[in-house]
Amino acid sequence: MTLDLEKLYAARLYAARVRPYLATALFALHVVESRRVPTMAVDRHWRCYVSPVFVDRTPVEELAGVWVHEVSHLLRDHHGRGDRFAAAHGLTGHAERLRMNIAADCEINDDVYGDGLPCPAGAVQAVDLQLTPGELMEDYLLQFRLGPFTSHLAWLDCGSGADGLERDWDLGPDGAHGLSAQERDAVRFRVAQGLIGRPGNAPQGWQRWADKAFHPPQPWRELLGAAVRSATTGAGVGEDYTYGRPARRAASLPGVVLPSLRRRPPRVCVVIDTSGSVSDAELGSALLEVAAISRSVGGRRDLLSVLSCDAASHVADPLCRAEGIALLGGGGTDLRAGFATALRANPRPDVIVVLTDGQTPWPDRRPPCRTVVGLFPRAPEVREADPDYVPDTPPDWARVVTIG
Amino acid sequence: MPIAARPLDVAADLLALLRDTTTEPRPDEQLEALTLAVAADLPVLLWGEPGIGKTAALTQLAEELDLPLTTVIASVHEPSDFSGLPVIGDDPAVQGVPMAPPDWAVRLVRAGRGLLFLDELSTAPPAVQAALLRLVLERRIGALTLPPGVRIVAAANPRSSAADGWELSAPLANRFVHLQWVCDPEVVARGLGGVWPRAVLPTLDPDRLTGAVAFARRAVCGILAARPALAHQLPNSEARRGGPWPSPRSWEMALRLTAFATASGVRREVLSMLVRGVVGDGPGLELLASLDRLDLPDPETLLADPASAVLPERGDLRQAVLDGVVDAVRRRPGRSRWDAAWAVLVLALDTGAPDLVVVPAATLAALRRDDWELPASIERLAGAVSLTRRADRAGARVGR
Repeated sequence: MTLDLEKLYAARLYAARVRPYLATALFALHVVESRRVPTMAVDRHWRCYVSPVFVDRTPVEELAGVWVHEVSHLLRDHHGRGDRFAAAHGLTGHAERLRMNIAADCEINDDVYGDGLPCPAGAVQAVDLQLTPGELMEDYLLQFRLGPFTSHLAWLDCGSGADGLERDWDLGPDGAHGLSAQERDAVRFRVAQGLIGRPGNAPQGWQRWADKAFHPPQPWRELLGAAVRSATTGAGVGEDYTYGRPARRAASLPGVVLPSLRRRPPRVCVVIDTSGSVSDAELGSALLEVAAISRSVGGRRDLLSVLSCDAASHVADPLCRAEGIALLGGGGTDLRAGFATALRANPRPDVIVVLTDGQTPWPDRRPPCRTVVGLFPRAPEVREADPDYVPDTPPDWARVVTIG
Repeated sequence: MPIAARPLDVAADLLALLRDTTTEPRPDEQLEALTLAVAADLPVLLWGEPGIGKTAALTQLAEELDLPLTTVIASVHEPSDFSGLPVIGDDPAVQGVPMAPPDWAVRLVRAGRGLLFLDELSTAPPAVQAALLRLVLERRIGALTLPPGVRIVAAANPRSSAADGWELSAPLANRFVHLQWVCDPEVVARGLGGVWPRAVLPTLDPDRLTGAVAFARRAVCGILAARPALAHQLPNSEARRGGPWPSPRSWEMALRLTAFATASGVRREVLSMLVRGVVGDGPGLELLASLDRLDLPDPETLLADPASAVLPERGDLRQAVLDGVVDAVRRRPGRSRWDAAWAVLVLALDTGAPDLVVVPAATLAALRRDDWELPASIERLAGAVSLTRRADRAGARVGR
């Protein structure tokens, strides 16, 4: 049987019509006829391997869905993410790659089908594996194993573009019509730009992808750590040079003035806004993080103080006790009170770290110390009495790290 | 009776055997990028985890460029080693206090040329980092000024693994070419097996210099004219802090790097790394996309001579060209241009996937004036029409 190219291209045309924002990516794929693939598969060089039998027995509209499905694997960089996940968790073997393919399909399929693209009977859905839809491949990978739920998926094969494992039908990086890494980035970038430029046409999942495609969110732990470290090691705090005392090297270099190294461990005050909807787990992990960072920069336990800014201080209390941090309590739900209390301490803290969901007024003036805000993102609060109420955003003198 | 060898002699033999390795040529894009940035006389900052061979790469680069390498480990120095040691003379009130430079700086200035590698920037105390940045930006050490023949490369650990919060402020980040340095496990495995890679570094072609400058200017000016907002964008989120961002200064660096990359004919991957390392990912990718567009055939040329047109293989680029051709006709309609555009579409249909032609053909058909007859070649587009019908039928089945 020869490949019915006309049908395949009609399907691509249809896919580009119902998903115009993916047209660039769809047209960038190069079709390779292959009798070895069960249905359609992609490799990481943006070639699309197609089985003639599959094209023959599948209606055009379902083929269009497969086009969109396969190009989604590539746009979402599932092969790269699969490789990174495998490296991070020490996974090897075909079974793990099959699991990645299944997890990647779960991530894609809740966005792909519907709205003009009928869902084919065999498509993997998160709910079939008793998982919640709308999560990422990495999340799914941690939640299921191969077993009775997945045994019917053993034939599943979206190619090396979906899970990173080279297949023997792959033409490889040197084969014809492959896209180089830079060209792949360029296509993904153009699709993302199109999505950002014309919001409203595309589903939420794709919008989210476009926002993050080239600015992957950094883990908040690292960002918070960097912000606190940089605040606690700035001039005047931490380890620094001083000419106020002779250096140890000075004796051997008469006539030369040398500075000596001096150490002044930073005083860190953590203000916790426990009002509203900050969950125990979020708060606990953020707080432990701050404590660990403070220790690593030489802070002593007596130099780290914690204030809670709400009546619900018992939430953070057990965590703090486990870490040996005493909660001093106090304040209302207004963070300005928290700042005032923190600054009243004698000696004054070098750094104030605020953990809050941001639904609060902020001090109008910059406090006389460095400020790091760990912000738990929340949908804006709606007040019935005052529908126009918009809570203040964190001020620009603070370094803001969005947590979670 | 043989004389018993001393134990360390045998050990030396074993060490010699271990050192006996060979090299093989292997393309190394990050080393090529580093070479070009150093050749373009821009300060480079290598970001990489400790122990992945940044120093080894610098050694190879220095050998290749025939520059003496001076490595300064920032973390074991004091700020005065970079800003100059105050030496008190007999009469400070009259003669002043000279700031004496360290010996390596004196040697570097005397040699007039060299590669200065400032290693371990991130583990140095803040005061040392501050002193070092003056060295990088103003090229001054105490009373000495580094001659133009000296090139500077620095290395830092990423923020996440740096112990003491090394972080670039936005103005400083804007003056570096940021290169992410990663190691390839395959290279390490092969190297420990006895074969280390040897990269062939790019060389500038003297005949292409003028063209390269014109090309780079056209590309960078083109994108800044089309997207003026890209000219200056301070990083606003915590995640992008300390990294590259677009400003007139970094665009000038991007222009210089584009010219160097063009004159040496390196792959786009290398240029991509460099450009994204000076203006950031988004603006960098836009610049690369506009370079791709510069490579595409010009619609007017295609309309002038459709018979000899060569269309790009890649579907998305081909579609961009066809859209450009139809758009050119729409902007300046004319019977002969309209016919020529049909000829281009027929050519596209004959040489590639038919679905790409459908939308441009529909747009072109809509541009018809009443007195224009359909060209004979339009029958060849029947395949595209049947494709459209099939897609229409599929749409009807789904109910759209």
